[in-house]
Amino acid sequence: MRVSHEWLGEMVDLEGVEPAKVADLLTLSGTEVEKVTAFGEGLEQVVVGEVVGLRRVEGSDHLFLAHVATPGQEPREVICGADNLFVGALVPWARPGTRLPIGAEIGRKRLRGIWSEGMLCAPDELGLGSDHDGVLILSPADAEGGMPLDRVYPADHLYELEVLSNRADCLSHWGVARELSALLSRPLRDPETSRPPRSSSAPSVQVAVDSSADCPIYLAELLTGFGDTPAPAIVRRRLAAIGQRSRGGIVDLANYVMFEIGQPLHTFDLDRLPTPESELAVGVRRGRRGESITCLDGITRELDPETLVITVGDAPQAVAGLIGGEASAVGPGTSQVLLEAANFNWARLRSTSRRLRLRTEASGRFERQLSPHLARRGADRFIHLAVRHLGATLGPGAVGGVPLAAAAAIRCDPARISSILGMELSPAEVAGPLRRLQFEVREGRGEILATPSPYRTDVTTAVDLAEEVGRILGYRKVPGTLPPNRQAPPLEALAEPVARLASATCRAAGFSEALTLSLVSGEREGLAPRLIGNLAHLELDNPLSAQLGSLRQGLLQGLLQSAHHNQARGQDQVRLFEQGAAFWGRGPERPEEPWMLALLDLEDDEAVAAAARLRRLMALIASLSSVGGGGVVEFRPVTWLGLHRARAAEVWAGAERRGIVGEVARPGADAFDVRGRVEVAELRLDGWLKPGGRPGHAPPLPRTPALVLDLSVTVPSGALLGPALQAVEALGLPELELVTPIDEYVGDQLGPGVKGWTLRLRLRRPERTLTTAEGDKARQAVLRALELEVGATAR
Amino acid sequence: MTSVDLQELTAMALEEIARADSLERLDGVRLRYLGRRDGLVTLAGQRLRELSPEQRAVYGQEFNRATGELRLALEARQRELAVGEEALREDAEWVDMSHPFREPEVGHPHPVAGLIREIEDIFAFLGYQSVAGPELEDDQHNFQLLNMPPEHPARDAHDTFYLRPPAGGWLYRTHTSPVQMRAMLGSRPPLRIIVPGKVARRDNPDPTHTPVFHQVEGLCVDRGVTLGDLKGTLEYVIRALFGRDRRVRLRASYFPYTEPSLEADVACAVCQGAGCRTCLQKGWIEILGSGMVHPEVLRNGGVDPEIHSGFAFGMGPDRIAVLRYGLADLRDLYENDLRLLECF
Ligand SMILES: [Zn+2]
Repeated sequence: MRVSHEWLGEMVDLEGVEPAKVADLLTLSGTEVEKVTAFGEGLEQVVVGEVVGLRRVEGSDHLFLAHVATPGQEPREVICGADNLFVGALVPWARPGTRLPIGAEIGRKRLRGIWSEGMLCAPDELGLGSDHDGVLILSPADAEGGMPLDRVYPADHLYELEVLSNRADCLSHWGVARELSALLSRPLRDPETSRPPRSSSAPSVQVAVDSSADCPIYLAELLTGFGDTPAPAIVRRRLAAIGQRSRGGIVDLANYVMFEIGQPLHTFDLDRLPTPESELAVGVRRGRRGESITCLDGITRELDPETLVITVGDAPQAVAGLIGGEASAVGPGTSQVLLEAANFNWARLRSTSRRLRLRTEASGRFERQLSPHLARRGADRFIHLAVRHLGATLGPGAVGGVPLAAAAAIRCDPARISSILGMELSPAEVAGPLRRLQFEVREGRGEILATPSPYRTDVTTAVDLAEEVGRILGYRKVPGTLPPNRQAPPLEALAEPVARLASATCRAAGFSEALTLSLVSGEREGLAPRLIGNLAHLELDNPLSAQLGSLRQGLLQGLLQSAHHNQARGQDQVRLFEQGAAFWGRGPERPEEPWMLALLDLEDDEAVAAAARLRRLMALIASLSSVGGGGVVEFRPVTWLGLHRARAAEVWAGAERRGIVGEVARPGADAFDVRGRVEVAELRLDGWLKPGGRPGHAPPLPRTPALVLDLSVTVPSGALLGPALQAVEALGLPELELVTPIDEYVGDQLGPGVKGWTLRLRLRRPERTLTTAEGDKARQAVLRALELEVGATAR
Repeated sequence: MTSVDLQELTAMALEEIARADSLERLDGVRLRYLGRRDGLVTLAGQRLRELSPEQRAVYGQEFNRATGELRLALEARQRELAVGEEALREDAEWVDMSHPFREPEVGHPHPVAGLIREIEDIFAFLGYQSVAGPELEDDQHNFQLLNMPPEHPARDAHDTFYLRPPAGGWLYRTHTSPVQMRAMLGSRPPLRIIVPGKVARRDNPDPTHTPVFHQVEGLCVDRGVTLGDLKGTLEYVIRALFGRDRRVRLRASYFPYTEPSLEADVACAVCQGAGCRTCLQKGWIEILGSGMVHPEVLRNGGVDPEIHSGFAFGMGPDRIAVLRYGLADLRDLYENDLRLLECF
């Protein structure tokens, strides 16, 4: 919302208060000033001129030659491109030598053989808004020839406000002035609302409100005797300043009151309503199916039982609080009006506004729980101005709804406010800011009784009072402290979280940390390998796009996309990992959110080099499980959708499958437009790795020397190391400390269908040095186990 | 043989020692003069037996001095030659030690993940435990228990992703605040937690929005917690994140689940408060929302507001990363471009 400094100044004394100071005070107290702009500054050099002659410039289809005069001076010739001039028009005239507020210096210019004596200005050229439709035409009511323009448009500053959603009371100059009055400790001057006595002319009016929950108050006032008088200059000027176009005296005045007092008003042309001779029956009811109304914007809208309408003689004339009907619109020639000042249920208006996809200045106010007490103030202010400035006469009026409850007093211990804010405040220091906010405050024994201003629907409890005191005094004054700490934090807080441990381990192994969105295209994710098998995606009901329409089931799709992104930008080696939740759901019950870790290692290399990268990745998984307290990992070769058929394994630990690892199959890599070979893994960490990692223990460290022996065997080429070494472990040889595969050999010397393994055995007895004979015996035992398990023969 | 002969022999040996240009040759010299059986000096020593006792004493002294001198010379020359030979061997194993390494072997942290860990560390120092909560929520926890009944105007700012049936009862949390509720419902005060995690709002991706982003929520509930405590905590944390001298201001605001509500701004680093494009001419940049937990929300969490009070806050590490690292486009955070990641 835009408010004017000058307009505010009418309600609270801003003498000596710079606009920057006003902006600062408002911002810190909750009404954020997004921008301060100067309006109508530097207009003292521009004069009001009268167009006394006008003709087209010969040979031009868009230029006019105007003769412009000021009293007592010869008319001068000014060339102008705007087509809204007419003889007798009063216009802003920047004569040669004038410097315009936007910075341009005006000179004498020769155009088409004619000397143009300066220029006639559009509003935007004068810093009076953004309108560039034509030359600004001044009303004879506001201006006269020869007058400097700053007398018509005194310099002002405009504040662009971001009003908090619970502060409907601040959506007006009066409301903002109430804030400033409290913040500056300067008295508030309420707008004049005195009204004349009613004249009892026919017809009389009656209001019937179906549900006071929908509409707690509806004031109807009849006003007659309007001519075509425009609103007073100051009203039009202020409306122009805040960006409102002038639309005739009655509408301008209603708008003015809304921006001044904050109460939306609606005016119906009485002569265009179905008016009976005796009594005008105004109703507030729900719409009916089949009813429709053509609104002020020319659009016909269907009504329904969820929509609140204003009727006259039961015919819908307006969508309540949102927009009026075209049929009863006020316009030129309107001489008598039915004025509406009402309040409508915020929730109902919100849903109607959403359904009709229409938001207006009025609905925006009602939606935020505007106080119903404002209706009376708004009506009275309009009546006061209409009678005084537009020559109107007040006729009969009526009230619908229920008597409004007065704001309830809040009982509150000042000590409680001190303890919420964390600063010592005396009862007087608590009462002061509240009184300045127009709250009624009574101080009693150890407590105060505060009745909020009737326009503040947001203040109902003692904590609300604390907030008012705090923000008016300024949070700057609250001393910064730390909360008392009487109890030690829970011990679990000390264990290093699994996510951190995993991140550090992966980074140490050369993988960089990635983050991707959790929203994916379900179809595309189907192309990436996933730990979860065949499961339908959880889908969004209101996605932004199909690309972001499903919740991810795994993390590899995101990493493959990132891999492509990096490769396309010239990275020949991409090593990334990501951790995060995936989403697995089957029915209406809470979906599962497993905590996943995915790793990706991409290079454009050959099968052998890629296999080495795959083995490094597997080694990393084994280390991760080890440092993370996940136990010994076993890799079980497997065929897996999306993975290379000869390079895929399940990751098992502690009798459970924890993940998959392998090389992405060519079609998958192609689908993500990735060159080269992609080694990947996807692991579920929750339930596997432990916060704090491996507990750790000290093993015995015998001082006897180790006997290290190598054993070379020939095995069938399909033999698997995993089961082979498990068989060796299963022997349970007490002296066998460690078996390490150190070489795998395939070659002509061995013959077809076989390959060679070399295993290194580390043997030790804690109590004595092993003999060669014992070593040989152990080697024989290992060989026999390998023979039985994989058909190995010694080489 | 006389002492003079011995002196000549010694001089010859010293000269040969000096001339020997390899350890092998030096060893030859040693054998020739000091060889145990037929070294020239060794042989000269055998003459002692032929001398009279008086001569023997003199000659013996000469002999000991000569052999001592030769041994020292041999050792010294040997050290010299050994160093030279080792040098040659090492030279053959030359490594270009000026090799620059622009891509270190370890991986890099993601700026947002790194920032979250940093925030966790700061709060751990203040006694806060980092906890997690589900990313899919129900309306109850995401809105209603936080004082946002259906149609509440504050829901406007939370443009929510809902799931499609059969999972239609779930939504993607729009903030990490529902974890506050879960924490309060799950344990008794005192409570000091922070909750980092992903949230989602239905914003089209642009330089300042991504539909999924991160938040870090904080909650402190105890006896006698005040707004001053909130202020002190936020000031400490913001200075820890943005530097000791960065100006911070607290501004009154509104959230349905806190009362009083505050927003914290830091002075714009680009313009030092004068106003620029980064801060939309305000001079300040909004960094977090916070407030004293609303009594109704405490009650919803099973906490008696007559006994306990608390504060809560929420900040956006994505945005903080943008400010701290001068990132031009928020979307870059989710592309995982290694050129970016390698800078952290
Ligand atoms: Zn700036």
